[in-house]
Amino acid sequence: MRILLKGGRILDPSQELDIAGSLLIENDQVVAFGPGLNDASADDVYDCHGLWITPGLVDPHVHLREPGDPHKETIATGTQAAAAGGYTTICCMPNTNPPLDSPSLVDFILDRSASPGSGGVFVAPVGALTKGMDGKQLSDLFALKRAGIVAASDEGFPIQDSMVMTKAMEFCFQLDLPIMAHCEDESLSRGGSMNEGAMSAMLGLKGIHRSAEEIAVMRNCLLSLHTRCQLHVMRVSTWGAVEMIRQAKYLDAPVTCEVSPLHFTFTEEAIGEFDTNFKALPPLRTRIDIDLLLEALNDGTIDCIASDHSPHASHEVDVPFEEAPFGSVGLESTVGVTLTRLTHTGVLSPLETVRKLSTTPARILRLEAGTLKPGETPVAQVTVIDPDLEWTLDRNKSFSKSRNTAFHGMHLKGKPVLTFCGSEIYRDALFGNHRFVEA
Amino acid sequence: MIRHVLGIRQLEVREIEHLLELGTDFKKRIVEGRSVPEIKQKVVGMLFFENSTRTRVSFEQAAYYLGMKTANFSSAGSSMSKGETLKDTILTLRHERLDGLVMRHRMSGAATLAARFFGGPVVNAGDGQHEHPTQALGDALTILERKGRIEGLSVAIVGDVEHSRVARSNAWLLSKMGADIRFVGPRTLMPDTMTMLPGKVCHDLPTGIAGADVIICLRLQRERMLDGLFSSVGEYASMYQINRETLAFARPDCLVMHPGPINRGVELDDPAADSDQSAINAQVENGIFVRMACLYWAFGQEGMGKNFPQAIAAAKAVSKPKGKVKA
Ligand SMILES: [Zn+2]
Repeated sequence: MRILLKGGRILDPSQELDIAGSLLIENDQVVAFGPGLNDASADDVYDCHGLWITPGLVDPHVHLREPGDPHKETIATGTQAAAAGGYTTICCMPNTNPPLDSPSLVDFILDRSASPGSGGVFVAPVGALTKGMDGKQLSDLFALKRAGIVAASDEGFPIQDSMVMTKAMEFCFQLDLPIMAHCEDESLSRGGSMNEGAMSAMLGLKGIHRSAEEIAVMRNCLLSLHTRCQLHVMRVSTWGAVEMIRQAKYLDAPVTCEVSPLHFTFTEEAIGEFDTNFKALPPLRTRIDIDLLLEALNDGTIDCIASDHSPHASHEVDVPFEEAPFGSVGLESTVGVTLTRLTHTGVLSPLETVRKLSTTPARILRLEAGTLKPGETPVAQVTVIDPDLEWTLDRNKSFSKSRNTAFHGMHLKGKPVLTFCGSEIYRDALFGNHRFVEA
Repeated sequence: MIRHVLGIRQLEVREIEHLLELGTDFKKRIVEGRSVPEIKQKVVGMLFFENSTRTRVSFEQAAYYLGMKTANFSSAGSSMSKGETLKDTILTLRHERLDGLVMRHRMSGAATLAARFFGGPVVNAGDGQHEHPTQALGDALTILERKGRIEGLSVAIVGDVEHSRVARSNAWLLSKMGADIRFVGPRTLMPDTMTMLPGKVCHDLPTGIAGADVIICLRLQRERMLDGLFSSVGEYASMYQINRETLAFARPDCLVMHPGPINRGVELDDPAADSDQSAINAQVENGIFVRMACLYWAFGQEGMGKNFPQAIAAAKAVSKPKGKVKA
């Protein structure tokens, strides 16, 4: 079986490549790309004129909710949403029920994600850093790593005790295992449900002060600097946190970070009249934070973009603001929002956009992904994006089980239209039939 | 037409004026023993997730005067305390064929959520630290009666602003009506950023109440002390208590108000609470009439209340009630 993606714009940051050309997939592997590829012997030809041909996208931060909360999402529905969002590799977070702190649970996730009902993307599990994510005793990280975790994290229950965090970093350095850290000083954030600022004052909601994030970012960066443990800061939201990371990088600490589309798109004011779809952790901040997040995306201080796909059922979301869970689904909106907010506005070039959505997250987590180089990924991982496709996000047209999105009704420009992980795993209805020629 | 009274923040000036006018009109009729237009055959649910005998009784009085039937719900022992979501409770009440809801809840925005799912008018009887619109309307009616105007007045709201729905509703209402608002209190009991609330912040009491026409004291919750937000009741009182000494900084005819219940000797001393300058009892009574106004308006009743300036004049005239008011 020979599949030709013909006449697109090939963007591969792993090779600093931005050229016009075609790409050939043969027996589920990328075998060649470049200008002047002949389609004479191809079985299927996809006309990619005006489209981007990129390495399959990589999402470092997804919640699949299995085991424990299949009413929010399952591995099957979550991976289908990932494929529709242009992803071929996603990292799933350990805050399941029970938390992902034993090798058998890692096996379960890897089995489920490889089953025929799933979306066909690679799932790279992130293990719990401490047992039960209670912030006290380290998980069996050696065994977890052998079972296949790519990083360790306590996600929404960050380790508060600095000594525990130090020991975690020392051991993870020894294991060569990155730590993904949600940074929050709970003594400052406890009971808060939105940014502490003008809006929380108006709505009478307890705020989460920015320093709750910044103090934890600073502590973790310093511990990373001193232990040499690789630290990935999850979804930064304040300009101060970005400054801490910039400083850590200047000091040559092994620190990277991500941002989610929620945080570079919306301010605290989006909450309006207590709209729980905009309840995020860390909370949505202010205009100046967004401006400086964009600057940090542009100058590379922010390494990559994560959906932080956080599905919740409607009965969990239609509650008073303080009771609502944090987060928004994002697998199927991240590319559209990123292109609309960052690429078409000139914050990121097309090549940098793909780098932040694919090559860099793959590099940070040492995944066999994020490149079009033949033989460097287990199977071909290729995404085709129509950068100019205009569409309106409708939460009811989603593969995810949950509808809690902050982006419902948003007019977007840019959409993944084809995803290959080995074979084709997603073809968008908006990818015109005329573009596809079957031999 | 169905309307909600969720917060003063969302009301337009003419709507606030209309509600005050209705409140004045209702008061006049009741004080003079005249009839009041009734909203017959409507049942309003009194949904109090947080205990408040004062506010509940005031709403029951208002409903009684309007000829409405009330159905009482309290959270203890009901399905509300058995893990049912607020949304499901509201949907159930809707299908119990209640016509309207008066709701008190400890979470900010709860009334807004109820209004989304209920289908009939919802009147917020206090939601968390967000708003207490009927308290502010009663306070405004009291100020109108005693001062004859709101526009141009200088109003100091003193105390725990951060945790006070009364502070927010009063600030919105009085500023929309043209008063100048100052929030006075320690920095630990004041939100960090006040740019979306209408008023200036002052941490020093004498400066904050200098030249004030009205002082609204807020209730101090002693549990804030345990959270470390103030050191002791004694220190708070020594810095922020309204008494004869501190009242000297305000205008001589300054009105002293408090939403109750008062911690005597803390927010106010006895002479300040009981003097002629105090409007605390009038606040309680006027609460009933503005709650009548809110129910009447929320249920889309028309016919009363057409002329605001006249209503203000009338308000002054009835400020010394002659008849007996059941309160
Ligand atoms: Zn997350």
